[in-house]
Amino acid sequence: MADLYAVLGVPPNAAEEDIRRAYRTAARRLHPDLNTHPGAATQFREITSAHETLSDPVARANYDVKRRSAGPERQYFSLRVTPSSRTLQTLSEPQVLYLLLELTPDRSIDRRQTTAPLNLTLIIDRSTSMNGPRLERTKIAAHQIIDQLGPNDVLSVVIFSDRAEILIKAMPLADKAFAKTLITTMQASGGTEIFQGLLMGWEQNLVYQSPNFINHMILITDGRTYGDEAQCIALADKAAAAGVGMSVMGIGDEWNDQFVDQLAGRTGGTSQYISSPNAVVRFLNDKVKTLGQSLAERVTLSIAPDPDIKIESAFRLIPSAQPLVTENDPIPLGQMQNGQSISVLLQLQLPALTQPGFRSVARMVAGGDIFWDQRRRYEAIADTSVEVLPRPPEEEPPLAILDALGKLTLYRMQQKAAEAASAGEIREATRRLEALATRLLAAGQEELANAAMAEARRISSTNSLSEEGQKALKYGTRMLLLAGPTKDS
Amino acid sequence: MRVCPYCAHNNREGVLYCEECGQVLYSEQALVTATKKLQIGTGNLTTKSGWGTARFTHTATIILHVRDSQQSIEVKPQEETILGRYDGSSMSTPTVDLTPFGAYENGVSRIHAAIRRGEDTLTLVDLGSVNGTHLNGQRLIPNQPRVLRDGDEVRLGKLVCHIYFKTN
Repeated sequence: MADLYAVLGVPPNAAEEDIRRAYRTAARRLHPDLNTHPGAATQFREITSAHETLSDPVARANYDVKRRSAGPERQYFSLRVTPSSRTLQTLSEPQVLYLLLELTPDRSIDRRQTTAPLNLTLIIDRSTSMNGPRLERTKIAAHQIIDQLGPNDVLSVVIFSDRAEILIKAMPLADKAFAKTLITTMQASGGTEIFQGLLMGWEQNLVYQSPNFINHMILITDGRTYGDEAQCIALADKAAAAGVGMSVMGIGDEWNDQFVDQLAGRTGGTSQYISSPNAVVRFLNDKVKTLGQSLAERVTLSIAPDPDIKIESAFRLIPSAQPLVTENDPIPLGQMQNGQSISVLLQLQLPALTQPGFRSVARMVAGGDIFWDQRRRYEAIADTSVEVLPRPPEEEPPLAILDALGKLTLYRMQQKAAEAASAGEIREATRRLEALATRLLAAGQEELANAAMAEARRISSTNSLSEEGQKALKYGTRMLLLAGPTKDS
Repeated sequence: MRVCPYCAHNNREGVLYCEECGQVLYSEQALVTATKKLQIGTGNLTTKSGWGTARFTHTATIILHVRDSQQSIEVKPQEETILGRYDGSSMSTPTVDLTPFGAYENGVSRIHAAIRRGEDTLTLVDLGSVNGTHLNGQRLIPNQPRVLRDGDEVRLGKLVCHIYFKTN
């Protein structure tokens, strides 16, 4: 049960008139006729239903009784928003504002409480190219995962090439030794059709899918899929709607990183580049270990900027760096682990600001399911506004934003270079790679800088990037975001 | 609007890192190194490190001084001022002809580099010269503009000159 007073942003003893006014103000900002952001529609519904209850004296009295008997609400997590600047200048042209969103678990929560059973589906690519160390390492990783799982956890394993089959049916793991034997029998053959695997994996995951489980699918692949990307993405959206996360481990250099980012970004999962087969074991182990310790599951973020504000990009920084897809709302963020925040950096474009005074920027709602306390859809709401002045005081942007943005800039430069390269703008790509190398060197990232220079030389002579170098740069610059605040940047 | 001091890209207000080249934009202190007092040996030595101003007003002109020469050239910069070497056979003429300063011997191309006029700044661009253009010792990548500042050293091939801004 969400706190309806908090939704409207009024105190519990607010007069009818105040409730009406709060609703009117919110509706003017969020009505879908005026505000085209997908987040506005979601939040408008919530506000309208809160207003329906609170504006009716009888319904409100009933709600108040229920609210009082439920006692004070327990805090699970909070949402804090830091803008890059609290005061903006009146200006006749658009300007940019960054928002750093931090979802932080409440201190009062005990770590031991937060384990929940897993409903895990492994979807393993066994196409011919996986033959050898890649498949062998994946087998070892799967064995270790089986060892990690408890008696209440559910595991299913699907293997695919150009068609898919079930290796282990979804069920609580009773006979670990047998499951391991099945894994060992896996043989490589055939092509790569990811949708086949995903679909069957999804069906297996469905068997035990319930809000009492942490439902997650992990795809391990080393190749490109041909022609079925759109179907895969539609399935990812379906999974996101059902609260199922999807993580992707790409081994080697041939897989389609943009596609994989879409799958993970839409479901709140993570995508990972694994250059050597040996790293598979560690990555998978870490992933499964963290999955089990969740404070909140299916954490989502709904962003409703004012109608005249544009979201330019959204990027999750912590726990794992991942570009987010903002065309759907709410945006899945995956799970929140105990003792660790989730943080997201938003880049907004504000219109020309002519009127001095306070103005609202965006209303944001973060929600999540708290399993271990049987609490569905716990929500934290934040409403951000800034002051517009003809002559704002000098203000240093918050360090947290500068640090995160500095590293994100490197990632973006890499992204732009890759885009230029794939569009065939060779000169542009070379220039961007050289600029990236300069910045990487200044940031003390010699290895990555050399990689960028090598790619710059490569592209000017061969007109294309190497798959390996491009992925190393992309995931390398993304990893920088995880390194935490640097002392000297 | 914020002009990047490194690549002269026009960024929107509020952008903290140049969207073109990644340069930090948020703080003036980060761009200009302060005057440092060094204590070396017995005497106090004051050195001024850092750059001259990048601000170039509409009425200002450029003084171009070629090293080891007696003369300097004063130019009122156009939209694009081309530096190079005129030779009778070529079709195009540079705005500033460096032939009298030993351009040929020093490897200056016919169309070597250009000074472009921005809103309030000047940028230097190498136009694909054979022997390259250096700004304060750093080689320019062809067609990638760099902001020019008062007192900068520009090397065209082996020809070294200094650029000064003259405000009237």
